[in-house]
Amino acid sequence: MKFLENFLNNMDVKLKEGPFKVFHPMFGAINTMLFTPGHGTTTGPHIRDSIDMKRFMGIVIFALVPSILVGSYNVGAQAGIEGLFAAFMFGFLKLLPIIVVTYAVGLGWEMIFGHINGHDIHEGFLVTGILLPLTLPPTIPLWQVAVAVSFGTVIGKEVFGGTGMNLLNPALTARAFLFFTYPGNISGDGVWVAVDGFTGATPLAAAAASTGSAVEALNTAGFSLDNLFFGFVPGSIGETSVIAILIGAAILLITGVASWRIMLATTLGAYGMALIVQYFGADVAGGMRTLPAHYHLLMGGFMFGMVFMATDPVSAAGTNAGKWIYGILIGVMVILIRAFNPAYPEGMMLAILFGNVFAPLIDHFVVQANIKRRLNYGK
Amino acid sequence: MGVFKLKKGYNIPLQGSAERRVEKAPKTTAVAVQPIDFRGLRPGMKVEAGDTVKRGSILFVDKQRPEILFRSPAAGTVRDIVRGDRRAIQRVIIDVSADSAEKFESYSSGQVTDLTPEAAKSILLNSGLWPALRQRPFSKIADFEIAPKAIFISAVDSAPLQAETDLLLEGQEQNFQMGVNLLSNLTEGKIHLSVSPATEAFFAKIEGVEKHQFSGPHPAGNVGVQIHHIDRLLAGDKVWYISPRHVAQIGRFLAKGEYPGSKTYALTGSEVLDRFYVTGTEGASISDLISTPLDDSKQRIISGNVLTGAKCTRQGFVGFYDDMITIVPELTGRRFFGWLRLGLAANSFWPMFFSKLTPGKKQSPTTDMNGEERAFVSTGEYEKLVPMDVLPVHLCKAILVEDIELMEQLGIYEVAPEDLALCSYICPSKIEFGDIIEKGVITMEKEG
Repeated sequence: MKFLENFLNNMDVKLKEGPFKVFHPMFGAINTMLFTPGHGTTTGPHIRDSIDMKRFMGIVIFALVPSILVGSYNVGAQAGIEGLFAAFMFGFLKLLPIIVVTYAVGLGWEMIFGHINGHDIHEGFLVTGILLPLTLPPTIPLWQVAVAVSFGTVIGKEVFGGTGMNLLNPALTARAFLFFTYPGNISGDGVWVAVDGFTGATPLAAAAASTGSAVEALNTAGFSLDNLFFGFVPGSIGETSVIAILIGAAILLITGVASWRIMLATTLGAYGMALIVQYFGADVAGGMRTLPAHYHLLMGGFMFGMVFMATDPVSAAGTNAGKWIYGILIGVMVILIRAFNPAYPEGMMLAILFGNVFAPLIDHFVVQANIKRRLNYGK
Repeated sequence: MGVFKLKKGYNIPLQGSAERRVEKAPKTTAVAVQPIDFRGLRPGMKVEAGDTVKRGSILFVDKQRPEILFRSPAAGTVRDIVRGDRRAIQRVIIDVSADSAEKFESYSSGQVTDLTPEAAKSILLNSGLWPALRQRPFSKIADFEIAPKAIFISAVDSAPLQAETDLLLEGQEQNFQMGVNLLSNLTEGKIHLSVSPATEAFFAKIEGVEKHQFSGPHPAGNVGVQIHHIDRLLAGDKVWYISPRHVAQIGRFLAKGEYPGSKTYALTGSEVLDRFYVTGTEGASISDLISTPLDDSKQRIISGNVLTGAKCTRQGFVGFYDDMITIVPELTGRRFFGWLRLGLAANSFWPMFFSKLTPGKKQSPTTDMNGEERAFVSTGEYEKLVPMDVLPVHLCKAILVEDIELMEQLGIYEVAPEDLALCSYICPSKIEFGDIIEKGVITMEKEG
C-alpha cells in the first residue's frame, strides 16, 4: 500500500507540469479517491469533521443502488425475459452502456474544464453520471446520450463556473435537452420496452389517454397500485420502482444528505394540488383529472425526481424556509403540468427545472425577510 | 435573571478534558507578551533586549493610543524581541529571575465603588490590564474615549474541553467583586454576567451585575451569542466584554497595588498525558507548564481551544486571552479509501459514519482536514450551529462578493470568527468560515 501511495505522490508532482498536465484534474480525482488528500489544518478549527464531498456524494450513489437493481430487472421483465437473474442481466446490459457513455463523455468535459479552471474533477459529476441514465428509457440511442451529457455538463454547469455554481440540475438539463430535441426517442409509447417494434404505454400515458375513469383505465392496462409501488411497469429505467426509491430516500434522510424539508414539501404540494384538481375534475369524463391524488405520487418520475433531483443542494433553495416554498412549488407544478398540459403526460422534470429557476428568487425573499426582521428588532 | 436555553449548536465529543485539581507550575523560566494576541495592535516599544524589568514594568504601548499600556507579568531580563513578516513585532520574551514588583496604589472595596468614571478609567489604563477589555463590533481592545452601552462577562464554559471558570477563579470571589465594582464606573449601562448551571453557584453572591443563565451546546458560551440574546447590537452600538478571569485580575491589582502576574491554565487534549489545572504566570512558556515531552511534528500545540486557538510550538507561549492549552495529535498521513471507511471512530457531526451509533463516545481526532475545498453545499446544517438570527451562509456570500450594505443587513457587526467556528468544523466543502468573517470584519473596519 505504501508503494502505491508513493507512486501516486510522485505522479502528482510530475503531472502538475509538463505535456500531460491536462490529465492532472483526472489524476487528482483518482489520487484522492484512493487515498485521503492528507492535508492538515493550518488555522483553527484545528480538527475537522470526518465528512468530505466524496463521502457525501458516495452516499447518494449508494442510495441509488436499489433503483439501479430493480430498474435493471424491470427493463428485462418488461421485455418479457423469464427468470430473475436473466431479466436483471438483460436490463443491466442495457443500462451499463448508457452509464459508461455518460461517464466517459461527462468526465472528458470535466477534465477539460478542470484544466482550464485549475481544479480537480469534483465529485458532483459522479452522481450526475448515474442520475441521468436512470431517467432515460432503455432504448435511448447512445450517441444521443453523449450529446445530452455534453449539453448538460457544459451549458448546464460549466458555463456558470462549475460544480456548485450551476442554476439548474445538470442531469435534468441533459434530460430536458433530449426531451425537446429528440422527443421521438424519449417519449411516446414505443421507447419504454427494450424490444424492437414492441410498444407499451407508461401508466401516466394510459391515465392521460383514458376516456372514462383513469383508475379503470390503469387497471385495464394492468397497472395496479401494487405494480406501481414495486415498479413493474414501463417507464424510465430508475423511476418506476417506488419501493426502491423509498429505500434510497431513507438512506438519504438518515444520513442527512438530502433535505427532508424539500421531500416533505414536494409531497404535500403534489398531494394537495392533486386533491384540488380531482375535486374540480368531478365533472370531467376521463383523463388525468379523474386520477386520485395518491396515484400521482406513485406514477411516473415523481418519486425519483423528488428524492434525487429536487433535493440537489446546489440547484435547490438554500434557506430552510425557502426549501418549503421550493418543494411546494415543484409539487404543485408537477400536478398542473400532468393535469392540464395536453402535450406530455409527465411533468416532474419540467416542474423541478421550474423550481430550480425560482430557487434563487425564493432565497432572495427569505433573506430579505431576515433583514427586515433584524431591522425591526428593538423598535 | 434571564434564562436562555439555546438549542442550536454542537458539542464535539472530545477526549482530553482536564481533571478538576489545581497544581503549581513546576517552573517559571520565561514569559512573553505578544502583540499578535491583540487584533490590529501596532506596538510602540519601551524596552529593548537586555533590559531588566520588574513585574509591572511597561514593555510597550499601543502606538495609536499610547495611553494603553502593556506591562510585564514577571520580573527578569528581556531576552529577545521577536519580529515576523515585514518586521512586525510578534512577542517580547522575558527570562524570569527573582521577583520584584512595581508599586501602585491599593484600594479598598468601598473606595473603588466611589471612584469617578474618569478616575476608574485612568486607574485601569495605568494598570496594564485595559487590554483585557474588548469591544464589539470588531473584537479589538476597548476604545477608552467612548462610553459603552453595556459590559458583558461570559462565565459559561461551552467550548471544546474548555477550562472551567470556577477552578480558574478558585478563591477569588472578592477580587471578582472588586473588579465588577471598578467596571461599573465605566458604563452608564448594565454589567451583564452570564452564568451556566455549572458556574451559577460560584457567582451567587456577586452584586452590581445583571445575571443571565445560559445553557445549551457550544457556542452558548460565546459572548457574541449572549449579546445577541441579552441586548442585541443595533446600528452604531458599541459594547465592551471581558472574561471573568480578567475581572478578578483587575480586582487583585486594586487590592494589592501590584501587577498580578499569576494565572491558572487548564491542560487539555488527548495528547497531554497528565491533564489538570496548573497555576503559572501570564504569558507562560508552554514548556514550563507541561512536563510531558512534546514533539511539534507529532502533536499540534494550541494556545486556547481546539476550535479558535492559535497554533503554537513547544517553545511557544500562551496567549493573553487564553486560559487553556490543548494538544491534539498531528495528522499522520494519507488513508487508503478514507471516504469509504465505516467510521466507527470517526469524529463527525453528520450521521454518515457508524460512530453516530455511539454518540457519547469521545474521540481523539487528528489535525487532518479530511478533505479538500469544494463549492458551498447549502444543506441547512450550518444554520443548526449558529444560535443567532443570522444566516451564516448568506452572510459569508455577502462578504465574498464584498456587498457592504448586505453584510451590514445580515449582521456582520454581531459576529466574530469564533461564532462560526463550528460551521468550519462540520463543513464537507472545507470552507473557512472564520477567515471569511475576519475578511468581512476587516472590510467593515476600513469602511467606517
